[in-house]
Amino acid sequence: MNSPRVLPTDRELSDPEVVARILSGDVESFGIVIRRYESGLLRYATRMLGHPDAAADAVAEGLVRAYRHLASCRDPARLKSWLYRIVGNRCRSHLARRSASDISLDDAPPLPDPSDTEASAERAEQLALVQRALETISPEKREAFVLKHVEGLSYEEMAEATGERIPTLKMRVHRARVALLEALKEEP
Amino acid sequence: MSHIDPQVHRVLDGEIPPDGLTPAQREQLDALTRAAHALSPLPRASVAARVMAEVRRPPESAGARLAHWLTERHAVTISFRPVWSLALAAALAAVAVIPGHGPGPVIGDQEGIAQFVGRFPGAKSVDVVGSFTDWRSGSVVLRDDDHDGIWRGTVVLPVGQHEYMFVVDGERWVTDPLAGRYVDDGFGRQNALLFVRSIAR
Repeated sequence: MNSPRVLPTDRELSDPEVVARILSGDVESFGIVIRRYESGLLRYATRMLGHPDAAADAVAEGLVRAYRHLASCRDPARLKSWLYRIVGNRCRSHLARRSASDISLDDAPPLPDPSDTEASAERAEQLALVQRALETISPEKREAFVLKHVEGLSYEEMAEATGERIPTLKMRVHRARVALLEALKEEP
Repeated sequence: MSHIDPQVHRVLDGEIPPDGLTPAQREQLDALTRAAHALSPLPRASVAARVMAEVRRPPESAGARLAHWLTERHAVTISFRPVWSLALAAALAAVAVIPGHGPGPVIGDQEGIAQFVGRFPGAKSVDVVGSFTDWRSGSVVLRDDDHDGIWRGTVVLPVGQHEYMFVVDGERWVTDPLAGRYVDDGFGRQNALLFVRSIAR
């Protein structure tokens, strides 16, 4: 008797296996990519752009672009860095297009959920304060700080995600820390 | 201006443990760690449905793309490339700007005319794809009527900045080497940049 074929779950499939499935025509497997990386990409884009709607646009555009150009992902084992690179580019495009009339973080601070406790409201306030400080430093430093300390990427992964050299990124992270510390001191 | 001791950087880079830090150094470490922690909550939003709807959408057939292109108004934009094409481009622009006797292309205030020119000897086909075609080939097809390897095409685009690439023989994506301005495409290559001006000015 044949034993039932056990299909691997999302977690069991490596990124190269998922990519191979998609490239062989299994469109739905792109959902695995979204489930794995969407949250981190949205957080990264939100920190870069300062507004959740703009971040959602950047991530959605980036993921569609990634799907359409998946065959050009030379090393699917490094899919994560590749996705951060694409979304980072979308964020840079959004920042370049951003007009003075766009909503800034000052206009749209993160709102606590009505069901939130006092502690989580305090966390939201702390987030708004740090995000405001983050907005005052240059996009390059902001990106370096977020990729290193929020997304937890290694310098090697950051180099793949940004196309910059590791010494350049180390210098940028160091300068971002100084600039952020300075900006935090100026926050009320 | 704040100064951060190199020891603090080394701790934050995971090179050394924080044990030997002075109280002042630890204060800086704690401030930065708190900042990173405050930024760490994951957003609750999701773009999954939006993205999957887009990737499930079947690609438009060549006929549908052609019909779409023919029924939409196009601006004529000219991407001036090699020096020898300047005269031709200028002539095309003049034809577009000077009122003619016959019916010409209807060009809106926010549209412009341009020409793409590329040298691809031996190529069987050359398309232009870009932000204005949603990166799909088939709507801007260049021609080499005299078989000299120089492919040309004219197109009407909205005023503003556009990214583009040539697609040779349906599979080889080539950055225009004479575009002058480029932008990283996110995949290790560069897209050429095209700036379209209104001819109404």
